[in-house]
Amino acid sequence: MYTIIHAIFGYFFLLFIVRMLSRRPGGQLTPFEFVIVFLIGGLIILATVGDDKSATNCIGAILTIGLMHRLTAQLRSRSGGLSKWVDGSPIVLLKDGQWQTESMHGMRIDDPDVMAMARAKGMKDLGCIRYAVLERVGSISIIAADEEDAEKDEDARPEEAGTETRDEELAGQR
Amino acid sequence: MPTETPTKPVEDSIAKVNDDIAVGEDLEFQRRWWKFERGVWVVLSILVLLDVIGVFGRGPLSTAHRQTPDGALRVQYDWVDRFQTPSNITLHFGPQAVHNGTIRLWVSDEVVKALGNQRVSPQPVQSITGNGGVQYTFAATDKPNSVEFALQPSIVGETHFSLRLLSDDPSQPQEAFTAGVFVMP
Repeated sequence: MYTIIHAIFGYFFLLFIVRMLSRRPGGQLTPFEFVIVFLIGGLIILATVGDDKSATNCIGAILTIGLMHRLTAQLRSRSGGLSKWVDGSPIVLLKDGQWQTESMHGMRIDDPDVMAMARAKGMKDLGCIRYAVLERVGSISIIAADEEDAEKDEDARPEEAGTETRDEELAGQR
Repeated sequence: MPTETPTKPVEDSIAKVNDDIAVGEDLEFQRRWWKFERGVWVVLSILVLLDVIGVFGRGPLSTAHRQTPDGALRVQYDWVDRFQTPSNITLHFGPQAVHNGTIRLWVSDEVVKALGNQRVSPQPVQSITGNGGVQYTFAATDKPNSVEFALQPSIVGETHFSLRLLSDDPSQPQEAFTAGVFVMP
């Protein structure tokens, strides 16, 4: 019983802390964030399973966490408000050649983070970006400054077409 | 007959930025969230500081010292323990506690049950259970003696335990005290 209670508490506590740590742990994993993911994961398991190392205990904990995840996902899909509290909302970081400094500061994201995503899309400088949006999953969607740039980017990186976000697909179609 | 697949018309339900790109940004919510986030981090920082100083156990503030008025028994214990985590109650006996080469000590059942007594060191020469506790008899000299109870609490919450020194002479008052321990989950 303790394992089930600990697993439920552990799931929601971890969800809360990861949400507090901003969105980057799920999006761009740098060594800085790897430390957080592994350390928190390792520590929470100690309290979850306790000194009961049986397969029954392990399966009970996994099933509980799976159920909690399913329940949260279901509630999140039904309620837009809860969805915002769990995942946040997308945030515009760069718009019409202007950094949205309040959002950048709030999400602890710097220019190099945005430029890194732009480079990954084949863009050479920040001037090529029309919009940069921090998505709920933690990735940054880059939308090219004009149609030519967008088409050029598409042509330059055909092998990465499958990894593009929906926003970039829309930009390419414009 | 095949059933019809449920569908829903596509609506312009995602808020646009510059009337151009559908992002669904909610900056007002985000501002409220950042404010909440700052408050939470202040609270979490305070919790970490309290943990460091031992308010939640295993730190300088979690250790308590008590003694009987005549100094026959001095007790060191953790007033905050943690569930299933080893801790100790150490008893220091003065010469007044020794009678005929023995120390007789009664401890309440809570030490064994709620606080999960694992062992007593040194081993008592006799243990008698009953009267809501266990009576231990230790062989002792007149020099200062100490006994240690190794605990591993098995019940979360507040527990009170009692200790009492017993003497052979019924006319002498028995030195005793009760202490509270909070076991963190």
